[in-house]
Amino acid sequence: MGVFVFLPLVLPLTAWPVARLAEQRLHPRTATRLLTAVAAVMALCSTVCLALVMVVGTAQLPGNPLPDGWSDPEVRAAVPYDEVVGKAAIPALCAVVLVSARALWRHGRVRRRAHRALAGLPGTAVAVLPDDVPYAYALPGGGRRDRVVVTTALLDCLEPAERRALFAHERAHLAARHHRFLLAVRLAALANPFLRPLRTAVAYTAERWADEEAAKTVGDRRAVATAIGKAALVSRGTPVATLAGLAAPGPVPRRVAALLGPAPAVRTWPSVFTSVGLAAWAAAAGTAVSAMSSANAAVTMFLILRAATPL
Amino acid sequence: MTDHRRARRRGQGELEALVLAALREAEGPATAGWVQERLGGGLAYTTVITILTRLLEKGAVTRERAGRSFAWTPADQAGLAARRMRKVLDAESDREAVLASFVTGLDPDDERLLRDLLGQARGAEDG
Repeated sequence: MGVFVFLPLVLPLTAWPVARLAEQRLHPRTATRLLTAVAAVMALCSTVCLALVMVVGTAQLPGNPLPDGWSDPEVRAAVPYDEVVGKAAIPALCAVVLVSARALWRHGRVRRRAHRALAGLPGTAVAVLPDDVPYAYALPGGGRRDRVVVTTALLDCLEPAERRALFAHERAHLAARHHRFLLAVRLAALANPFLRPLRTAVAYTAERWADEEAAKTVGDRRAVATAIGKAALVSRGTPVATLAGLAAPGPVPRRVAALLGPAPAVRTWPSVFTSVGLAAWAAAAGTAVSAMSSANAAVTMFLILRAATPL
Repeated sequence: MTDHRRARRRGQGELEALVLAALREAEGPATAGWVQERLGGGLAYTTVITILTRLLEKGAVTRERAGRSFAWTPADQAGLAARRMRKVLDAESDREAVLASFVTGLDPDDERLLRDLLGQARGAEDG
């Protein structure tokens, strides 16, 4: 198994180029699906390998609950036993499990609380709340009805066509179950910090996907663009902390600029002869290597440990 | 007295719902005495006041002074939902991860860029 067990921990780096290029060069739907799939597989492989390294590390600790045979010299020779790495994997894996469980729990809690807040209202698909803070959210059902939540303050600043664009955008989020993609990349980024750029990219491409769906529904790209622009300008009360001047344009201006341009072409898989195609293939190869080496490591480890376990 | 005790034994949430339902049947603001009568005298006057005060804290009713007592009005459901929703959103620092928001924050550079873009869009429309 050798050093291959550590590969899935660093292979997410191969997905960085495509995370960077996909948001401009791929259709947002393709980009969201591709990046989420890559992130999910890589996170899984990296966690499996972390678990394997942890087993090796745990077996070396005095008083561990694992069978004695697991710390035999033969096992140590067969797996890349490194005292520091093996022991470091224990808190690392615990941290991954803890933060993932917390993220899942919070996800459920926000949804439950939001539904409870709307409990007194008639069960319509759109809940209009009288509030002077402008916001709009897509609230996935989870056993209850999917709802679009929007405040009067936001609706008041939009023209009729822009309101239709806003509703179409939120409905697109719900229809395509975007919250699942967002949750998947969030958990992946927690499992392996090298996957964070993929999370940022998917958060953006999911919005772009909903924007494009909305543009198709209302048949007017400019209405969607101005709806986003106006909504961002009225709700700009909470500026994001960035280094002004150094920062690249934020997601909102990029979305508006994309909508003011032509609709993106729908291609299922980019040609290898373009930069984004090359990046996508690199990420796919990285994912495949990640899957193979973690599967290989898991099987090797299983066989060694089965041989070392007295029956 | 037995009625009163039976009322006590009912859950507080149930009593609040009863009082709120009675208030909604009123045409305009109602006094606590009116609510007590409406509920059939099963509750003591002080109990009605207690429940109304609790509902006031939750934002489910509003009150205004009418002579020596208060006149109570049920809060509108939409306003109540709006306040509850705002509380949920304010409490969750990472709500963006769960609820896909229509827009996110803007920094000053973004704002300038966005105004330029919208200006161009308007110009293209006019021209």
